[in-house]
Amino acid sequence: MTLRALIADDEPLARALVREFLAAHANVQVLAEVDNGLEAARCIQDLAPDLVFLDIQMPKLTGLEVLQLTGLRRGVIFTTAYDQHALAAFDLHAVDYLLKPFSQERFDAAMQRAGQLLREGAPAVESLVAEQALRRVLIREGSELRVLPLDEVDYIEAQADYVAFRHAGRDHLKVQRISELEAQLDPRQFVRVHRSFIVNLRQLQAVERTESNGYAVRLRSGKRIPVSRSGHERLLGVL
Amino acid sequence: MHPLLKNLRGLAAYLLAWMLAGCALAVAWVQQASTERIWVLGFLLPLALLTGMAALSMYSVCRSFPLRPAKWMSTLSRRAAAAGLLALLVSGAAALWNATGPLWGRDGLVSLTPVAWLAFVGIQTVVFALSALMHDALLAQQTIQAVAATEAQARLLAREMEIKALRKQLDPHFLFNSLNSISSLIQLDPAAARAMTVDLAQFFRQTLSLGERERIRLDEELELVQHYLAIEQRRLGDKLRLSIDVDGACRMAWLPPLVLQPLVENAIKHGIRQLDLGGLIKLSARHAGDRLALRVSNPVDAQAPRDATGLGQGLRHLQARLQTQYDERAFVDVESTADRFTVQVSLPWQT
Repeated sequence: MTLRALIADDEPLARALVREFLAAHANVQVLAEVDNGLEAARCIQDLAPDLVFLDIQMPKLTGLEVLQLTGLRRGVIFTTAYDQHALAAFDLHAVDYLLKPFSQERFDAAMQRAGQLLREGAPAVESLVAEQALRRVLIREGSELRVLPLDEVDYIEAQADYVAFRHAGRDHLKVQRISELEAQLDPRQFVRVHRSFIVNLRQLQAVERTESNGYAVRLRSGKRIPVSRSGHERLLGVL
Repeated sequence: MHPLLKNLRGLAAYLLAWMLAGCALAVAWVQQASTERIWVLGFLLPLALLTGMAALSMYSVCRSFPLRPAKWMSTLSRRAAAAGLLALLVSGAAALWNATGPLWGRDGLVSLTPVAWLAFVGIQTVVFALSALMHDALLAQQTIQAVAATEAQARLLAREMEIKALRKQLDPHFLFNSLNSISSLIQLDPAAARAMTVDLAQFFRQTLSLGERERIRLDEELELVQHYLAIEQRRLGDKLRLSIDVDGACRMAWLPPLVLQPLVENAIKHGIRQLDLGGLIKLSARHAGDRLALRVSNPVDAQAPRDATGLGQGLRHLQARLQTQYDERAFVDVESTADRFTVQVSLPWQT
């Protein structure tokens, strides 16, 4: 069986080294090389590679964010030179990674392990990714992929099968359920104030009473968003 | 509180000295006048203790009104007034004590003429004035010690920050990535692998040796930067382009080590690396008036969200380092436009 591979690293020499070590693995075919996280996410979505060599510190999106945003869990081989925070998380979840510089032997061992996980699933990667709070989302605009920093999003609204991210006066749609998204967000910053709304507390201006004796929040942009009874309790819990 | 009051042994020795002085005075008195020794001692010893304690109170006067050249008149007059007042109080107490004579079956403990009482007040005043003088000397010495301690502390802090900066310079991420690049080059281009090894070794060697010194020539810093850039250029390829523009006179100027290199490192990390096509880093050094102006500018991703706080950790660190060495005479200025980031460091000109 041929494995189709993607190499994501912002340094050409680091990518060349992975290619060189791959020469010993005749069953692997390199589909593409990319030099930033956004390109990696695009290739993963468009080409669905079996195997991804993923550098952790990359421009635009980190390796972990690439997984978060694409949903990719299997067939990932992480590479990194040094990143104290990431490595602590990797060790905690017993996720394998290649520390640069690495030898052919170490590379081969990682390949073997990845192949095994490809067949059996990779629960360790799943729990590692689940632990990281979402800080950016990937939005598709026509054929373009765009990164939206959640810090700058005013609020998120559920619309049928979509969620709409309100950013700089525009709605950006993404196919996702709002409850699923809520679970990925940092609960100290994003609060589900209503069945259909999540607000970003950084954009919060005031909590107001409505004429019908309910509550609403006013955002910096001037937008008023209804707050349900349980939403109000959640809001009080965080504020 | 007076430092002696916290030190019981010192206080006891001090009061003992006053009692001895009281005894000596009593002996002299008995030789002069024909009063019985026991009464003279009975009168003088409690007074000696009282005078001793009262003299200590000059400490708080000296502390509250420290001697200053600009205000010597008022500080001196305050001391004189305090000494006179204390002398009157102690003399009053002495008169009261003397008046207890009838309790012991005498007119007074001792008999003193009004002129003698006046002399008594005068002597007391002189004693308290001397006490003020000694306390001033003590305080001056304490101030000198405190200043020396603060200076030593500041020097220690500055040195510690230098060492921290040095340790940060030996960035493990940079080292391991560079080794990985060399590992890759060994197959692709052995000569380049060897050149990169030499650059890496030179960079680390110079960082270590320059970091130990307080001042270096700009020329030396530039050499370090060149090695650093040579390594980064191999790693980033044609994404990294450079323009270096240094006035000839600036090369001999003195500055603290590792000022320019962290700026270049930042320019690559936050600028060039984040851009698909890379860009041009501009580095310049100018001699302007009595100052050395260093400038590093880099392109930034206009789309990327920017940290609103302005100075990142590296720049704040540099600013703190320069502040401990130059106080207010060094500046770090940041200029941030949509697509370019510029840092300017201005230092006093030294050659």
